[in-house]
This record gives sequence, C-alpha cells and structure tokens, in this order.
Amino acid sequence: MVGLRAGLRGMTNPQLWIAVVENGCFFALLGLAFYFNLTGAGFFNFGIGAIAMAAAFTGSWLVTEHGLSRPLAGVVGVLGAIAIAVVMELAVVRPVQARGEGELSALVAVGASLFTIIQLSGLFLGHEARSGQPFWSTAPFSVGSARVGSTVVPIVVITAALFTLSYLALQRTRLGRLTRAIGNDTDAARVLGLPINTARLLSFAAAGLIAALAGITFAGRSGVSPDNALHWTITGFLALVIGGTGTVWAPLLGGALLALANVFIPFYFGGDVLAYGLVVVAMLFFAFRPEGVFAPRVRV
Amino acid sequence: MTTADPLLSGSGLSKSYGGVHAVSDVSFTLHAGEVLGLIGPNGAGKTTLVDLVTGAQDADTGELVLTGSPLRGGAAHRAAQGLARTFQHPQLALDLSVADNLLLGAYAARHRGLGRLLAGLVRGILRPHAPADRALAERLATSVGISGLDRHARDLTLGEQRLVEVGRALGAEPCVLLLDEPFAGADAHGVAGTTRVIEVLRGAGHGVILVDHNVDLVTTLADRVMLMERGRVAFEGSPADCLASPEMQRVYFGTAPEEVAS
Amino acid sequence: MSARLPNVAGVLGLVLLVVWAGSDLYRSSLLVTMLTYALVALGMYVPFVLAGSLSLSYSAYAATGAYAVAIGTAHAGWPLWLGMLVAPPVAAIIAVVLGAATMRLSGFYLGAVTLLFAEAFIQLLGNLGVTGGPSGIVGLPLLSFGGWEPSPQQTVLMAVVLTGVLALALDRLRRSPWGVVIRASREVPIAVDTAGVSVSVLNLVALGAGAAIASLGGALFTTYVGAVNPETFSVNVIFLAVFMPLIGGIGNPWGAVLGAAIVVHLTLNVDSLASSGTLLVSLSVLVILVLFPRGVLGFAGTAARGGTTLLTTVTKRGART
Repeated sequence: MVGLRAGLRGMTNPQLWIAVVENGCFFALLGLAFYFNLTGAGFFNFGIGAIAMAAAFTGSWLVTEHGLSRPLAGVVGVLGAIAIAVVMELAVVRPVQARGEGELSALVAVGASLFTIIQLSGLFLGHEARSGQPFWSTAPFSVGSARVGSTVVPIVVITAALFTLSYLALQRTRLGRLTRAIGNDTDAARVLGLPINTARLLSFAAAGLIAALAGITFAGRSGVSPDNALHWTITGFLALVIGGTGTVWAPLLGGALLALANVFIPFYFGGDVLAYGLVVVAMLFFAFRPEGVFAPRVRV
Repeated sequence: MTTADPLLSGSGLSKSYGGVHAVSDVSFTLHAGEVLGLIGPNGAGKTTLVDLVTGAQDADTGELVLTGSPLRGGAAHRAAQGLARTFQHPQLALDLSVADNLLLGAYAARHRGLGRLLAGLVRGILRPHAPADRALAERLATSVGISGLDRHARDLTLGEQRLVEVGRALGAEPCVLLLDEPFAGADAHGVAGTTRVIEVLRGAGHGVILVDHNVDLVTTLADRVMLMERGRVAFEGSPADCLASPEMQRVYFGTAPEEVAS
Repeated sequence: MSARLPNVAGVLGLVLLVVWAGSDLYRSSLLVTMLTYALVALGMYVPFVLAGSLSLSYSAYAATGAYAVAIGTAHAGWPLWLGMLVAPPVAAIIAVVLGAATMRLSGFYLGAVTLLFAEAFIQLLGNLGVTGGPSGIVGLPLLSFGGWEPSPQQTVLMAVVLTGVLALALDRLRRSPWGVVIRASREVPIAVDTAGVSVSVLNLVALGAGAAIASLGGALFTTYVGAVNPETFSVNVIFLAVFMPLIGGIGNPWGAVLGAAIVVHLTLNVDSLASSGTLLVSLSVLVILVLFPRGVLGFAGTAARGGTTLLTTVTKRGART
C-alpha cells in the first residue's frame, strides 16, 4: 500500500519532476518525428528510434574514439540521420508502398530497416553502451534541493524550438500546407498533381533531423547503445498515438503523459509495473481512442 | 409460420453517418420464391440497405425477421442463418484460383462456429482434398457459366469476377441471396449466367434481393420492385406499376409527370 | 504429383542435415538451434502468412514452451516430455487471450502492442520466483521416456521428425478447405465474414495454433540444453522469425524451415561472417522486399514470376501443373 506520506514525497520531489520534463521532451521529440512521417507520407516510420540511436551512437563513437569535437560529431550525426531517413524512403519505403500491398509489407520493410540499422551500428561501432556526447550542454545548477543536469536546459530549449519551427513550417509555409494536404488524402493530392514525392522526402528528412537532435541530446543523460533503438521507436509511437495526430503540439502532451508514467510508476510501484502498465495503456488507447487525445477534425 | 408469412422482412431500418441519412426508416418484405428488385440513383442507400440486412454494417434502428425468427448478430452469424450476398466491388481472393473462390462459400459453410472451425483444421491436415469438392466447383462453374477453374482470380474480367461471386454465394446454399449490382460491367454472357442463378433460386422457393442500375433488367427479372431515393422508399409495387409511377419519373428524370405529359 | 516436390525436397533436406550433424555435438547443437527457429517461424507462418496479421509476441510463446518444460521438471518433478505436451495448450491460451484483447487492432498498432507484450512477458519471467528470476532454471535432467534415455543424436532425430511433420501438416492445411478460408480472409475478410465464418474467431484460432507450434520450439531448445533464462528468447528471435519465411519463400511452410537453416548458417555457422551474419540476414530481407516484391510479400500469387527463391518457384510451378 502506498502511504499518503510516501505519495506526497514522490509528487513533491522536484528531482522527479525534472526527470519528467527531460523524459517528456525526449519522448515528445520522437513523437514529433513520427508526426512528420505520418503527415507527409501517411505512414508510421518505425525506424525513428533506430535513426535517433544511430545519430547519438555515431556521435559518441566519433568523439571518444576519434577525438572529434562534440559539435562536429553532432553535425555528422544529424546529417547521417537525415541521410538514413532519406535512403529509407527512396530505397525501401517508397518502392514497397508504391505497390499498394497494404500495411503488412510496409511494416515488415520498416522492421527490417530498423533491424538493419541496429546491426550496422553494432557491427561497426560495437554493441556496448556508450556515454552520450551532446553537442550542447550547460553547467549543472541547483534549484532548491533539486539538481538540474547538464542536458535539461538544452533539451527543453531544443524541444521548444523544434515544436515552434514545426508549427510554423507546417502551418505558415506553402510546402508545409501542401505536405499536410498530402498526408490527409494522398490520392486526391495525386489527382491534383501535387509534388507528393518531394513532400514525402522532406517529411522523412525532417523526421530524421528531429530524431537525431533528440537522440544526441538525450543520450547525454542516459547513454546510448544499439539496444535502445526499438524502445525509442515504441516510445515515440506511443507519444504520438496517445497525444493524437490532430495537431503538431499533440506529441508534446503524449510525451508528457508517457514521461509522468515513466517516472512516477517506477517510483511508486517498481520498474516492472511500468512494463506491464505500458502494455495495458497501449492496448486501451489503440483500441478505444486510436486517434489520440487531439483527434484530427473530421471533414465530412 | 404460414405460407403468407414473408421469408425475410425488415422494418424501420435506419443508418446515418455523421448526420447524413444513408437509409432512413426503410421497411420491406421478401416472400419465398420471390425476386425483389431494388433500384434508385447513386447514393439512394441500396448498398447500405444490403449491408444492414447482411450485417456488414450495424443498423442504427430497425428489426429484421428471417423465417419467423429475429435476424441479429454479426455478418457471420447471419450468413449461418441462410443469407448470402455478392458485392458491388467484387471481393474475390485474387491470390487464389477460380475454383477456390467458387468453393469459398461452401467451404465457409462447413466451418461455421468455433467447433467446426477447429474440426476443419484437423480434417484439413488429415484430408486436404476431397474429389467431391472439385466436382462441386465444376457444378458451380457450370451454373454461372464460367470456365477455366485453375486460373488465378486476378486474371478475370470484372464480369467474370461477378459471376464467380454469384457462384460462391450459390455454393453456400442460401435461402436468401442478395445481389449487389451483378450486372454492372457484365456482358450478355454474364447477364445470362446471373439470370440463370436467379431463376434457379426462385424455382427452389428461395428469395432474391436484386440491386442494380440496369432498370430494364431489374424490372424484367423482379416480381416486385422497390424504388429508393435518398435513403427512403419512394415507391414499391409491381415492375409495371413502378415504371409507370410518377415517383419513377421524378427520381430518374427530375421532372413531375405533368411536365412530361405536356 | 509435382505439387509434392517441396515436401520431398524438404524431407530430403532434413535427412541430409541429420547425416551432416552425425554424432558431432557442435553440429547437433546448431541443428537444434535451427529446428528451434524453424518451429517458431512455422508457428508465425499461420497467423502471419496464412491469415495476414503480424503479431509479434512470438518470443513470449517460445519462452512459454521453454518454461513449461523447465518449471514442470524442476518444480513438479515431471519428465521433460510432459512439459512438451503441456506447453502448446498453455501458449495457445495466452495467444488467444492476447488476441482477444487486441482484436480491434491491426498493422502498426498490433505490432506495437504485441511487441510491448513480449517485452513485459520476458520481464515477468525474470521477476517471478517460480521461473528462477533473472538466472532462470538450470540443470534439468536428460530426456527420458519411462527409463529409456535417448542419446543426443536420437533427441535431434526426434526434433527433426517433429519439425518435418509440422511442415508437412501445415502444407496440407494450407491447401485444404480450412486453408482456403483463412487465406481468403487475408485478402477479403468481408467475403469470409458474410459467408459465415467470423474472421475474428478465425484469427484467434490461427493465433492459438501458431503459438502452440512456436512453444514447441522453446520446449525443444530447453529440453536439449537443459536450461533456460529470460535472455534465451530475446526480441531478436521475433525479428528473425518474421524474416525466415520471407527469406525461404512464403509460398510454402517449408520456406520457413529453409529460412531458419539459412539464418542459422549465416549467423552461427560461417565463422568469417562473425557478427555480420545477422546484418546479412536483415539486408537480404530488405533486398527481397524491394526487388522481388510479388514473390515475397505480394501475397499475390505471382510469386513464381518474381522468382524469389528456388523453393517458391518450385512450389508455384508445382501448384500450377
């Protein structure tokens, strides 16, 4: 039984809330990457977690094994991630999806891509976990009794910036509106002669960029290994599905809810309960509200 | 149940999607040995009505009665009660052969319910092929007039696909067959095949609900015709009465009968 | 007659593997690993290839088989073979319950939930007392049938027979009326539903049957090795089991067995490949998916034209004559 005092101790512990913020930002960014792929290509890119991992892992490897500066390694990681995303679209997803065989082959293709990225990273860079090498960190400081780690401020700033930029890009630019139109109804867009392929490619590239920034920054706290890829993918997917696909801000809410669960459930009930709880939460959400909290407005 | 009781009846059937009434308050009866024609422009609610009867969609309101008992539950349950249908957009397993598609109705009939599904699994391993099934496929193919049983379904023309669907439904030995636009895209051969099946079922005392845009064919084949417009029944009666009705003029020509006369 | 060609080739292949393994213990263990994978892949074949639904909990079902043997033996004092008999129904029940809970899901949603379930299940195994926690259960006795203790070679032979019989059975099932109904449900579920077979119930039966077969893989592995722990069946097993039928050819259940042989050969048997074997496997899956679409995931009946693998080609050619 969780006593009231213990309950309060958790909820009033600022250190835990800082963890919520940090986790929440990371999950939200992964969700945002999923959102870009979904909007531009009508497709859940299960490779997102692997792309984030590959960027962070490669960056760490370049810094620790080859003495590159962190910013330079960061740039390489981000560019590499964009390249992976673009190659995935051009070489795998587009040809498989173009055949119109339905979701199953696309799902297997993306699964195979994810697996390939994990294996490639493991083969060339090793399977052991590495400490993250974020290109930007701040000096740790204290707020009251809580300590704010070196990656908290960067990830909050990056999250705020990326969400704002995404909002502006999708709402205010011609290409962004086009992209959303294509995600809404690809067939109609094709009939209208809209540049579907360009929009798709850009959405993959944007997803790769966002995933890379998220992975590199968060790895500064958690470290990174090829084993993280699948978890990060599932987490980002959950953040998007729980938040909903109705607005670009939705992954922020999904990420926050997931982070609350990730921090407080283990605190009160132990880490195992989180694993069991996630299955149940995912099942309930997928079955009863697959459109998420912020559902797209239905146009009849 | 007396002979005057209908084979299948529906009352007060309604279905709407987000405020659009696809079918509203439709009632109908179908007697044994009768062909009920269903005509009306696109969007009149004909296919939705077929979906509501077969359980492919759930009705918002309304009751259905088949041979004196309420007809409820999902599509599979209703099929087990003796309903079979074809589809406006043919639903053939394109990956399978024509023979397998023809036999699907009969095969499914053998696997209704969990018990039969499990027994069928074991039987399938022990005895995958029964010569009688090949004979049945040939019989069904002859009834609808299609050949080339070992072709892939994907190689069929639209008309041939419709014939296979009719044959598949026939294989389930239904007491009520619902045909959704069997003549669309069919040539004279296809029309003849489907017509033959309709006549056989009528002769055997079964019921047929025939939905099609071809008013000539429907009024020729049907014993009774229902004209639908915007989800409602605009007219119901004999084919001749329907063709002569002012509702028919209005629905199809958009004019009142006086204007036509003048 | 030539429809039997894959069956003949498959049986012949298994016989050759038994001869190749001989009394060499290393080769025998490779063969057992391959048969374990083959059984998991054959299990997955039922819902994945026949019914077209991608449930990813197969590491959990393999683990169920493994732990049924281990727990039954270590805690209840059962002979190992009794655990092998208990494993399939237990795994089937778990799969049906999970399948019923996820009935409304498909595609990515189903994939994500079943993957989370597999992870949670493995975590549960590492936390329970009865499963021996993180270190699992070790030191199981040798296989014994009322006093008769088969040699390792005889055990391998029995496993080969089990795998061969299941592949033959699934091939017969695929071509049977039941197989036609379930394969039709993959493409046109509405047609199957309105013909009187509930596709949801059909899917549950497929999931249960698949899990039962996959659990035999886990049971076999534990019986042979004499130990199990939560790490034995990782998420990698799931991916590899999805890839195996694709590599071997989905036109026939023997494709799953062939795929298992190829995967084990590449990942464990070719020294020069070392850790790149798994990479090679996933890359070849990508290549197959992209370049030979119709043959592999097209589910399109034009497999022979794509010519993905020898086996698929042979199968389809056989089916036509």
